[in-house]
Amino acid sequence: MNTIIEFKHARKSYGDHVVIPDLNLKIEKGEFVTLIGSSGSGKTTILKMINGLIPLDAGNVYVEGKDIASEDLICLRRNIGYAIQGSGLFPHMDVEDNIAYVPNLLNKKDKQRTRKAVEKWIQVVGLERDLLDRYPDELSGGQQQRVGIARALAASPEILLMDEPFGAVDDITRHMLQDEIKRIHEQTGVTIVFVTHDIREALKLGTKVIVLEHGEIAQYDTPEAIQQAPANDYVKQLISDK
Amino acid sequence: MDFIIDVLTLLHDRADFFLNLVFQHLQISLIAILIATILGLLLGIWISEHQKSSNLVIGIVNFIYTIPSISLLGFLIPFSGIGNTTVIIALVVYALLPMVRNTHTGITNINPAIIEAAKGMGSTKMQILWKIKLPLALPTIMSGFRNMVVMTIALTGIASFIGAGGLGVAIYRGITTNNAVMTFAGSLLIALLAFFMDFIFGRLEKALTARRPNAKRKVFVEIASAAIVVLLVFAMLFSNLFGKTDKVIHLATKPMTEQMIIGEALKMIIEQESDLTVEITEGVGGGTSNIQPAMEKGEFDIYPEYTGTGWNAVLKEKSIYHESMFKELQDKYKEAYDFSWVSGYGFNNTYGIAVAKDIAQAYNIKTYSDLAKYTPQLTFGAEYDFYEREDGYEALQSAYAFNFKETVDLDIGLKYQSIQQGDVDVIVVFTTDGQLNDDRIVVLEDDKNFFPSYMAYNVVRNETLTKYPELKEILDQLENKISDSTMARLNYEVEVNKKEPKQVAKEFLDELGLLKE
Ligand SMILES: Nc1ncnc2c1ncn2[C@@H]1O[C@H](COP(=O)(O)OP(=O)(O)O)[C@@H](O)[C@H]1O
Ligand SMILES: [Mg+2]
Repeated sequence: MNTIIEFKHARKSYGDHVVIPDLNLKIEKGEFVTLIGSSGSGKTTILKMINGLIPLDAGNVYVEGKDIASEDLICLRRNIGYAIQGSGLFPHMDVEDNIAYVPNLLNKKDKQRTRKAVEKWIQVVGLERDLLDRYPDELSGGQQQRVGIARALAASPEILLMDEPFGAVDDITRHMLQDEIKRIHEQTGVTIVFVTHDIREALKLGTKVIVLEHGEIAQYDTPEAIQQAPANDYVKQLISDK
Repeated sequence: MDFIIDVLTLLHDRADFFLNLVFQHLQISLIAILIATILGLLLGIWISEHQKSSNLVIGIVNFIYTIPSISLLGFLIPFSGIGNTTVIIALVVYALLPMVRNTHTGITNINPAIIEAAKGMGSTKMQILWKIKLPLALPTIMSGFRNMVVMTIALTGIASFIGAGGLGVAIYRGITTNNAVMTFAGSLLIALLAFFMDFIFGRLEKALTARRPNAKRKVFVEIASAAIVVLLVFAMLFSNLFGKTDKVIHLATKPMTEQMIIGEALKMIIEQESDLTVEITEGVGGGTSNIQPAMEKGEFDIYPEYTGTGWNAVLKEKSIYHESMFKELQDKYKEAYDFSWVSGYGFNNTYGIAVAKDIAQAYNIKTYSDLAKYTPQLTFGAEYDFYEREDGYEALQSAYAFNFKETVDLDIGLKYQSIQQGDVDVIVVFTTDGQLNDDRIVVLEDDKNFFPSYMAYNVVRNETLTKYPELKEILDQLENKISDSTMARLNYEVEVNKKEPKQVAKEFLDELGLLKE
């Protein structure tokens, strides 16, 4: 297996507040890694270190073997899908333009290709084509999340970063979306890093689960291994909440 | 109702005049709007990206906004002179606030998660600005913009105060010549213009921000944008706003009816007798205090002025001026400014004392000294001002030993009515007041020369007189042609009979036989 994302002695603090003391982590290509931890434990920070939205104080992050500190961040980000809570859709663009956002940044001229990508991804996330000219506020919460996923995937990235993407939808919709993202992962083989604070979601979706405690990895293993052998009391406590 | 009909009639009869003013008004305001939009957007965007500077910049812009327009103009005149440049600068300065503030508010109120999403997907700063920030801020920016458009069009009305064009000319002329119909017509057109532009931009905004633009809307956007562009280009290309052509005499007049009449007469006769073109800047606000600096800079070549005013207000002499000092006045002007006083018109616009004609005849009163003998039987009226002035009532009273039975404060607008109704017997007047053109009133002779002399002349730059030697002779044609009572009669034609200053000037030149067909 080859490593697609790697953290080496990554460190981040805000003033005196050390959020990530010393992170060492390897994520293999094609994995679906869920990142679980309580609020404020540093999940979002880790995610944003991968696409360079948060710069490191020390250490390195490698994406596909290259230190991102010496990469063109704009270019890097265009090849990493990014989906956030509440979908982050652009309210002034219709569904089609939202999904086409990154393809348009990449290949402005090739309208044909962009259009094809949009049609492909709207189907992959399980939406009807006639939603394409709707605006975000004309969609249900679940539909918005699906558009958010389609947008993140539209340029066919190798990596997809998702920050509590299903945090704001009802239980039934969340279950449907979870099944959907699992299917998409199997279908596309994209590497996913998925932040959640819901242990059931983490265990259900992840091929690997990272349990984060105060910016440090308490356990990093398959869902089965974590359930059978929790590494410490915190992990034990966490899975018992299930 | 009658008033409305008068306004409509005036607009109809003088359609050319008003249309020209509307066009000038649009020119000035559109140029200011264009500059302010670009500057305001840039500044608004800049402070949104550099939050630290935003309080300071908005504070400054806000402060400028609160300066009264008259003071701002007064402040700018020494730098940018009289006319369009100054007006446009002032308009732009005021227009900045709504543009900067709304652009800043519109951008900073965008949900930061949306901007972070755009950034996380690999947008450059510019792409975030163009694709995300500006479109999302557009409704707020547009409301500031429309606000600014209406304000600028209204404010352009002050342009004429410092000698620029536009509908303010009508308003200002109406005020100066006591013609409420004219003032109202100008104001009405400004209001309509502002309303119309707001309507157009409102439609444009709707069409621009429509979610599913249908064909009709798209066409509208295209037509409206094209029209605005054409209008702007037209305004720029055809504006003689800043350029100066050769063989042009720049003539200024003060905001007084008689100056407007004389200005028109000068233009007519100079253009008739030479190949010079005369450009009149009518009724420059602040009169001498703003015309004199512009004369010194060469922005104006000639203007009608009064000897006493030149002596006290321009040369800043403390003594009272009498015509025996004319040579001294002339010399001082030559030395200080290289201007000449030429071709006096023959009238003296100063204080005077007027008496009801029946009284003057009954007692055979011709001079102030004659009047002194009868004052214990007579009532004297003047505006409040006159009692306060150092050289006013008290000085007059002791100079001639007046001893009136009673003295009354009169409103300047009601003075003539009071003497006609017999409420007062004697009033203080200006010797060329239009209302003196009334055979029930007689102006007496100031036999001891109590009041300073304000003889009307042309003040001309010597440079202009040298460059166009034919000018002096032409000006001489009007020398001593206008007496106090003639001037009063001409003023009367404008102020009471509501004739145009130009028309009155033409009829007068015709009377003198100076007009060639
Ligand atoms: N810009 C910032 N300035 C100061 N502290 C921050 C900033 N961003 C995050 N933090 C702090 O860092 C810690 C981790 O934040 P985050 O990674 O967002 O947590 P999580 O996503 O796990 O809830 C929190 O304590 C948070 O308050
Ligand atoms: Mg978070």
